[in-house]
Amino acid sequence: MIDSKEASAALSEIDEMVRRVRQSRIYDRASLIAVACGLLVVAGNLANYVVPRYGGVIWITVNLLNVVVVAAMSIVDYPKTARRTVDFRVLAAFVLFFAFGILATSVLGHFGPREMGVFWPIYFMLFYCLAGLWFGWAFIAIGLSITVLTLIGYFFITGFTFLLWMAVVNGGGLIVSGLWMRWGE
Amino acid sequence: MAELDEVIHQPLRLRIMAALNALPVSIGLEFSKLKKLTGATDGNLGAHIETLARAGYVAVDKAFVGKKPQTTVTATAAGRGAFSRHVATLQEIIAASEGER
Repeated sequence: MIDSKEASAALSEIDEMVRRVRQSRIYDRASLIAVACGLLVVAGNLANYVVPRYGGVIWITVNLLNVVVVAAMSIVDYPKTARRTVDFRVLAAFVLFFAFGILATSVLGHFGPREMGVFWPIYFMLFYCLAGLWFGWAFIAIGLSITVLTLIGYFFITGFTFLLWMAVVNGGGLIVSGLWMRWGE
Repeated sequence: MAELDEVIHQPLRLRIMAALNALPVSIGLEFSKLKKLTGATDGNLGAHIETLARAGYVAVDKAFVGKKPQTTVTATAAGRGAFSRHVATLQEIIAASEGER
């Protein structure tokens, strides 16, 4: 029989494994979503660069596709995870996220295309940073990196080249960070 | 007080069972993922999974994903039960020691 110190150490070991497994499952799912969203953001920025006048339509489409992709992944992954990622609360969170963004940028702020191009990624990355407080430091690292790179683009890159910069740092950043989450952790 | 389960009590096997038990029933972990989570070497992990499988605590499923072989390890109902009892015994040991103070 073991003593209470050893028993306590064994229970701590169990807790640590449970924490690692949960984090690994969150990272697995989040990495797929990051790569998919990254590809959509790259496509959105490139499309916006080619046809700037359709920017509004392009970004509404990209955002709707993002929601569809996340929902589709949840459905496809369900047999492997026995867990629904997208439920009423997640959809409500998406609605609130976009409602506040539209209120801030179009109703209160009257942002121009360039400000819109900066606001949405930074706003999105704010939630990455907040998620990191619960789900692991990788989210914070990704959120802060993309935010800083986005701001660098906003202050130092002029004209439509900014959209190419955003395709690389925002879309590319999401893809690279998704792969990093998947293989690096 | 119940006896500790000697199969599970070994440190690496405890980690393996803790990891598998943290998943929903019938969901398993790939060997490579389990290796990463437990920090074990291939050989060591394989040997301890074998011990757990012989005790009926885990099921090992070998399949091909594309051309790559993939081994998935899943906790069985017996394994989950044994793990729960093992955890309860650990908690009893701590509670008994606190009661003596």
